[in-house]
Amino acid sequence: MLLAKLAFRNIFRQRRRSLLTGLSMGGGYILLALTLSLVEGSYNNIINIVTNDHTGHVQIHKEDYLDRAGIFKTLSRDSSVETILNSEPSIRSWAPRIYGAGLGYGGEKSAPLSIVGIDPLMERSTTKIFEKVREGRYFRNRIDADGYYPAMIGYGVADMLKLSIDDEIVLISSGADGSIANDIYIVEALIGSRDSYDKMTVYLPIDAAQDFFSMMGKVHEYAVMTGHPGKAQELTRLLSAAISDPLVTVSPWQVVEETFYKSMEADKQGNKVTMGIVVFLICIGVLNTVLMSVLERTKEFGVMLAVGTNRLLVMAMIVLEITTLGLLSCAVGFVLSLPLVYWFTHVGITMPQPIDMGGVIYDTMVGEMGIGIFTIPVVIIVGSAAAVSLIPAIRAAHITPLDAMSDR
Amino acid sequence: MKNSLILSILLFWVPASMCLATEGILNQDAANEEKAKKLIQQVDDMYRSAASRATMTMRVQTPNYQRSMTMESYTIGEEKMLIRILAPKKERGISTLKLDKEMWNFFPKINKTIKVPPSMMMGSWMGSDFTNDDLVKETSLTDDYALSLDESSEIYTITLTPRYQTVTVWDKIIIKIDKEKHTPIEQAFYDEKNRKVRVMSYREPKQFGSVILPSVLEMVPLNKEGHKTLVTYDKLELNAEGVEEDFFTLRSLKRRLR
Repeated sequence: MLLAKLAFRNIFRQRRRSLLTGLSMGGGYILLALTLSLVEGSYNNIINIVTNDHTGHVQIHKEDYLDRAGIFKTLSRDSSVETILNSEPSIRSWAPRIYGAGLGYGGEKSAPLSIVGIDPLMERSTTKIFEKVREGRYFRNRIDADGYYPAMIGYGVADMLKLSIDDEIVLISSGADGSIANDIYIVEALIGSRDSYDKMTVYLPIDAAQDFFSMMGKVHEYAVMTGHPGKAQELTRLLSAAISDPLVTVSPWQVVEETFYKSMEADKQGNKVTMGIVVFLICIGVLNTVLMSVLERTKEFGVMLAVGTNRLLVMAMIVLEITTLGLLSCAVGFVLSLPLVYWFTHVGITMPQPIDMGGVIYDTMVGEMGIGIFTIPVVIIVGSAAAVSLIPAIRAAHITPLDAMSDR
Repeated sequence: MKNSLILSILLFWVPASMCLATEGILNQDAANEEKAKKLIQQVDDMYRSAASRATMTMRVQTPNYQRSMTMESYTIGEEKMLIRILAPKKERGISTLKLDKEMWNFFPKINKTIKVPPSMMMGSWMGSDFTNDDLVKETSLTDDYALSLDESSEIYTITLTPRYQTVTVWDKIIIKIDKEKHTPIEQAFYDEKNRKVRVMSYREPKQFGSVILPSVLEMVPLNKEGHKTLVTYDKLELNAEGVEEDFFTLRSLKRRLR
């Protein structure tokens, strides 16, 4: 108790010195918290871009459709899958899809393109497709007065086939029953940008796509959204257990976007090195001030030892003093960084050059708020301060009182 | 003198007699080939005559789907053919025109005529196991193949091997013809590794006007398990009246079915 009292009093005895040490530790805390927040925020932002744009958090397919897609690997819409999707409370929304490829004609021009059938309303509540409409209007799942279904096309299709809003696009492909699929659609919207991954895609309402590919009541994929990308694996386990059909495969986005996920993980590893350097720099700063404050008080320790204080106690007092100071600085740093992190999370930095991710514009760099963001720096700062204070503490404990007091 | 006699025999008689012998074999071969040619032409003309009109049903079976289509076809000689799909409704009006060695498909729903490029000749016709080339017959069985004929008591077996300059994917075609009725029984197609790739068999003979012909053609690709296409002739009118030359134009191809 006396030890704690001594240590505490020491901190306030030399206010200027303590302030300096505290400043380096508090500053380090704020720096670490912000870096962590921005790094996590950026990754989560990218994950959100990927999952919100198209992938969703979890996808459901027939068998190995993900690796080897085929028109016949379909799921029936009246199977138990949709009932389960509707009844699972952690699912925010889901959307059925059909994929195919075909030849598109606009006037005399033709181009190979991919055809995606989506449910306009369900897709809209699941992914950001609605925000990707650049020209025209988001389509609906119905036939117009002349008997034509609407279509939304990527800019690549529009450029190659010289199409604009309200033009006719002719699609030819082969249906699931071997028939020749051929039909005319009216372009109602241009989607994404010229760099979008889906620039050569034609979106059709799901009914139109089912009719076109002669696969009534069938889909190739369900995209499912839950509250947070981090919950994807948990939901995957849950759905896999709930769906009894062994031919149905449930995959989290980490599997669907395997390449992306793996490169992101590799990037995170690389980022740990950068974080390590930041922590090291902060440690040097702490060591510097701690060392200084202990060296300054060599005479004082000499007196303590001379009056018979236990060497171990002197050592413990120094470590305790620095640790307490570290905790205090972290508390101050927390109070100061809280509004900063909050601002980063909810407002963010507007980037001078917005990034276009497949037609969805991301123009702000945002942070992430979480318990880890604030606790990890405390552990790092206090831990490293205690570790570096050991060096001067051991030195102080082994000093000869005579040498210390004679200031040699 | 004696020597020169032997020499002259050696120089003259031997090659001459050898020549005669080969010529005999050649003559026999040529006669054989001529006969085979005639038989094949007979088979080819069987369903066509000068002008024909037919209604057929095509059933396509695959492990993934089964499909049936009814269609009508018109032909004049070997060069001109027009096929129109009557049912199902989704494909009604889709037509194929063959003029000589060219082929076009017409899709009424999108009002488009698309020429079948040479690269697509081995592609499937309307999702069946027949290829576009089966319809176009770009390679003539009698001109582009060397024929050899084998006879048994009931069956003619004609083996066709492509000539040196013939462009084809088949290494060998074996056609079996019923000796008595002069109707085909089976055509087997072999690839370059001498594997039997597909078999077309002729079944269920039926009276069409004055002739009896197999009414069912069955195409089975042996490299695709579970696949089969059956074409049934529901009606066949040979030497049909009213099938005119101007029927076989790109403009009439676009004529819509009501």
